[in-house]
Amino acid sequence: MADFETQIKESQAQVAEAQAKISAITSRIEAARSKLDQGAELDVENATLEEVHKHTDLMNANIAELIMGLDDVTAGFSKDFDEMRTKTGMESFIGIFSSAKAESMRQERMRAASIDDKLQDLISKSDVIVKLLQGQLDILNAQKTKVEGNLAGTLTEREETVGALEAVRAEVAAMDPRIIELENKISVEQDAAARTKLETELATLNAKYNALVQDEQVKLAKSQTLERYIEKGKTWVDSLQNQAATQLVLINKLQTDTKQRVVLYDALTSSLKTAQQQDVAHRINEIGVKTDQEAQTAMAAIGAATNDKMADMLEAHEGHMVFARQILEQKAKADERFARRFAAIVEKHDKNAYGG
Amino acid sequence: MANEVKDQLTSDHAELYDTLTARRYFAKFERIGGHLARVAAEVEAEGKLSRTEARVLGVYLKAVAGTFRALSNKYLMTGRGEGAPKLTIDRHESGFPVAQELMTMAVDAQQAERHLAGMPSETELKDRMVRQIVGELTIPTALQFALSQRYYYEALAAGGIFWARNDPDAQWIANVGERRQYLVHWAVWDTQVNLPVVYLMDLEDSGRKPLPNDAYRWPQVQHALMAQAIGGLKLLTIATGFDKDFADLHPKRLRRIVLGPMYSASFTLQSGPISQVLEGTKAPDGEDWALVWTVEDLVSEREEAVKEGWFSSSVRQIYKLDPVAGADLGATRQERMIILPEKPYQVLVEQNPRGLQGLRKFVVGAGGRLIPTL
Repeated sequence: MADFETQIKESQAQVAEAQAKISAITSRIEAARSKLDQGAELDVENATLEEVHKHTDLMNANIAELIMGLDDVTAGFSKDFDEMRTKTGMESFIGIFSSAKAESMRQERMRAASIDDKLQDLISKSDVIVKLLQGQLDILNAQKTKVEGNLAGTLTEREETVGALEAVRAEVAAMDPRIIELENKISVEQDAAARTKLETELATLNAKYNALVQDEQVKLAKSQTLERYIEKGKTWVDSLQNQAATQLVLINKLQTDTKQRVVLYDALTSSLKTAQQQDVAHRINEIGVKTDQEAQTAMAAIGAATNDKMADMLEAHEGHMVFARQILEQKAKADERFARRFAAIVEKHDKNAYGG
Repeated sequence: MANEVKDQLTSDHAELYDTLTARRYFAKFERIGGHLARVAAEVEAEGKLSRTEARVLGVYLKAVAGTFRALSNKYLMTGRGEGAPKLTIDRHESGFPVAQELMTMAVDAQQAERHLAGMPSETELKDRMVRQIVGELTIPTALQFALSQRYYYEALAAGGIFWARNDPDAQWIANVGERRQYLVHWAVWDTQVNLPVVYLMDLEDSGRKPLPNDAYRWPQVQHALMAQAIGGLKLLTIATGFDKDFADLHPKRLRRIVLGPMYSASFTLQSGPISQVLEGTKAPDGEDWALVWTVEDLVSEREEAVKEGWFSSSVRQIYKLDPVAGADLGATRQERMIILPEKPYQVLVEQNPRGLQGLRKFVVGAGGRLIPTL
């Protein structure tokens, strides 16, 4: 990503330049502020502001390009995803001979595939840009507060100046009737001494009047200078505010983009891996399942055999029982026969009737 | 079209933009972090974890707490300063910060030293704060932010943090005949569900060199395990794939411990019985949470020799699957535990929802005491 690096360097240089220009303007505004009392004119001309604007526009365009440039970084991801979906040349070649082997090679590659490093790279690159923008934003905000503080002071000063101007004007206005009155008095005065005294008085009054008018002009000029200064300052604050807004938009866009990208890429990788492997894993474990099935059949066979034997035995038992019963019956008959014959002998014996 | 997908994927991400909300969130997790260690101790006492396993798990649990501490410093000034960052959490079926937060933290950690070198020291910052408070009679927001960031970078530099990826480590356990037995453990902050996940694998090594010293196999093993540490993969998938890729390594048992999600009536969105339990509780702040902890376990039943090619054969593990849910679960057994404070537990017992009956319940009593229930 040499491109990205150089682009970052370029942007950093541009940001530094823009910051220098912005600071320069602010410091000129400040310097002008301190010289205002000596009646110096503010020399921040519109041309200079234009130049700064042009430069910051250029810089923002460059940073926007940088954000778009992240797409190059992300293009690397799509290559990875493609690789996960398709077979490599070697795998296709082996697939001609053994599709199973080719598939197992691909599975192994899938298992080892990881985009974590790339995600980290994406995050760190976007972080660099965010830091760049954030630095710029901080500078803009700092300059804005500085100029705003300055302006607030100037505004109070202008208010004071305007107040003083009003006071001078009121004084001048108040002098007018007195001068007219004196002039009228002089025009009707006959006594030379009194007239001279009145004329001296008029001259003093006139001198004071002129001084006041001059003072009024100075105050007016100062008020105007301050007003111009405030106008320029306001324009500058506006411009700083706009730039800060642009920075914020860029930062938000970049952060949201990166967040969503990371989630998307990660989800895609996971689902690719998951879909490909789960199925295979179960198939592999079926080696065992097959054995289990055989074992179960065997068990069932053994069970069946046992039952057969039992049944045989039971069936045979019937035979035994029948046989046994026959024997018992025969024995009973024999016993009966014996008893009958024996009874006859016993009777003979009891009656002592032998050979009798 | 692409943007729609992106929006959907991030739809359950929420930013904590308010100072108090963020503070409450971190305070909650600090409390929960303490209980986790007790649950681990309880499970060890029941004999379900060996001493080594409990120790390994304990390290990860401490690291999770460390991560939360670091993040809490990073986001200390949320909502106060203009440029102060905001924490993004996943509020559906997680309640933890999203994985990108952790990735960003990893990037920050790379630059921590540089940041610290360029920053004024803590005493200097505090001194300046006092000056501003006394001299200018204003709140030193910027200085407070600077100090919070300093604490954050100090925490990163000090380590003991659960990163987005915690690479595998092997612990020798015993020699079984010709084979060496290891406990291999690794952990990730799962990017799909945004939860910390710990993997423990009992591994038998029949190779010539001990695995952790084998410069040829060990890096490959580490890479393979990290690339497979995805929540969407079943344990069976991970284990069989690993078994196939490494002929002389025999994964005998694989466990996955998911340390979440955390449910909270005020921070997360939940569906199902747990939401009724939490809403029915009406508990005061700090007592309206429940943390679910899932342990999946896959055990090898036996080994079989499998022919590979014409002349070679290798040994493969055949795993025992749950007789009923085995095919779906891809594991021998799965156990879920729920940790919750007394009040939600009362409601849980009263409602006794069917969906939560099979869970092992741990109740956090007064003073942080943990009461296991049956």
